[in-house]
Amino acid sequence: MAAGLNAYLLVGAVLFVCGVICMATKRNGIGVLMGVELVLNGANVNFVAFSRYTDLGLDGQIFSLFVIVLAAAEAAVALAIALNFYNNHLTIDVDRANKLKG
Amino acid sequence: MLFTDLINSLITDTTQSIPRFGVELCLSATIVLMLLMRLSGLDRLIPACLTATVGALVATFLAYKQFDALHAKDAVVTTHIFTGLLVHDSFTVFFRGFLALFLLLTVALTSLTGIPDEEDSPDFYSLLFGATIGMMLMASANNLLMLFIGVEMTSVPSYAMVGFLKGRKVSSEAALKYVVYGAGAAGVMLYGISLVGGVLGTTDMSMLSQRLAEAAAGGSGGLKDPEVRTVALGTMLVMVGLAFKLSLVPFHFWCPDAFEGASAEVAGFLSVASKAGAFGLLVRFCLALSGAKGTESLMISFGLGLGFIACITTTFGNLAAYTQTNLKRLLAYSTIAHAGYMVMAVAALLVLKNSPQAATLTENINQSIEGLLYYLVVYLFMNLGAFAVIAIARNYTFSEEVDSFKGLISQSPTLCIVMLICMFSLVGMPPFGGFVGKLFIFASAFKAGEVHGFMYVVVAFGALNTVFSLVYYIRVLRTMFLEARPADARPVPVRLASWESAFVVTLAVFVLLLGVLPHMMSQTANDAAQAIAQLPTP
Repeated sequence: MAAGLNAYLLVGAVLFVCGVICMATKRNGIGVLMGVELVLNGANVNFVAFSRYTDLGLDGQIFSLFVIVLAAAEAAVALAIALNFYNNHLTIDVDRANKLKG
Repeated sequence: MLFTDLINSLITDTTQSIPRFGVELCLSATIVLMLLMRLSGLDRLIPACLTATVGALVATFLAYKQFDALHAKDAVVTTHIFTGLLVHDSFTVFFRGFLALFLLLTVALTSLTGIPDEEDSPDFYSLLFGATIGMMLMASANNLLMLFIGVEMTSVPSYAMVGFLKGRKVSSEAALKYVVYGAGAAGVMLYGISLVGGVLGTTDMSMLSQRLAEAAAGGSGGLKDPEVRTVALGTMLVMVGLAFKLSLVPFHFWCPDAFEGASAEVAGFLSVASKAGAFGLLVRFCLALSGAKGTESLMISFGLGLGFIACITTTFGNLAAYTQTNLKRLLAYSTIAHAGYMVMAVAALLVLKNSPQAATLTENINQSIEGLLYYLVVYLFMNLGAFAVIAIARNYTFSEEVDSFKGLISQSPTLCIVMLICMFSLVGMPPFGGFVGKLFIFASAFKAGEVHGFMYVVVAFGALNTVFSLVYYIRVLRTMFLEARPADARPVPVRLASWESAFVVTLAVFVLLLGVLPHMMSQTANDAAQAIAQLPTP
């Protein structure tokens, strides 16, 4: 029995929710970025599933390819910034980023 | 279609599109040139800020030419370029010109204040130019893919620019906070795009409202229809991403931290340019979803929701600014409040466009977009002016606290007078530009009140907040003008005949001109508004 559109969307939604929970609860900067990747890939699963089952067609596939590239670019910058933070604070615990407030 | 036909049509399309894409191409060429010059060591002979200035000048000139070309025709011209991914109309060209001019001013400011230092300047200007291209793409996006690429292309260089002051704890902290929140918001937005695009079966923004009408017609219509409900949810998630870029409450946390940690020049750039791009995108996205049969009341509730957020945002921004002692942080909260005022125009647009009498309200719909554009132009000059004064004074006092500005009038009256003009304009006092901008926006929101009474409440909040905001701007001005300069304070000897003074005075003159002669700009803004608001709706 072939899985329908809804099954794929469910996988996408689970990935999305896991990612959001990961972003909200992780205190480690890298952990938060992993949560972001989960969210992006949840959206990717959606795009590919929609492109197979609806008239979104190849647009969906192209979209997910672009997202993979953009996620890599974003991760590169984010990791550089995390490294810079580590050099200045000797930790990547986001709770230690508490100099700026008010 | 035969393969050769496909190739031929792509070639024709590209050759027709490239001239209309000249401004972005010019900026891209400048980036490549700067990086190549650095590679070959030429940047020691010709400083990168010079290359950047020339590139930005050419881009501004090209945008001006494009605008002129569109103006020469009577009818509204809308061209889809690059197989419909982007759209070229007066609205696009307005934003191109606006952003190119702002880029030019920012480059001028950074070369005056010496941030970045010579070693890093090719990198810094590449990031600055790249972010500007992203904003131009945001303002001309006609496809959900370009919407996302534009947002990412703006955000990623911005993260790096906020963290550009290496070796400073606050700068690295600001960048980390910005990147963590920003990446999260982008992810949520992408998920929203996947729902909207997937359910409606297209990523072309000019087809969204037609598909939405079809989806609503098939089912029971309104929120009871599962397809419409999913699209509404997706739209809300996209709005979260845009609200983050616009620093609307409750997605504003990053803004004060990022501004305090970044240099004043970068903060000025982010506060105006990235907001402008996001507003261009928000208007396009809202219009793309408006006017579909069967979902009018849903879209009106979106408009009212935006109005509600606008009220909260302005009130929060103004109240939080009271207790700030750091000037950049104070201006960050003022930026939040101003984003709230500008969102009122978008709320009015959504309410008017989806009202049953939309056909008779064309003039008012134009007016709401016109008000937004006018406000953005004024905001460019007044906010950049305020940040420029901070940056210039910082180079002498090494501090951005309000206290370091005590009694500045005795040492550099020019800076103080410019700050006075910018701040009064930010409050919205006549005869400065901010007054006219606020007037336009409140007028269109008031008109929207005829469609739904809640918009009257929005206008009332806007007016009340204008009064609130007076207090903290005046506090800064009182510190500058009425208190005595402490004996141990570092001197700030900025004379009238210096490049710094010339720069800030130019900005202040424009703020005044926009207040005294509003028709200069409002006609242009109205043309841009007409081009986008008159899209045929099915």
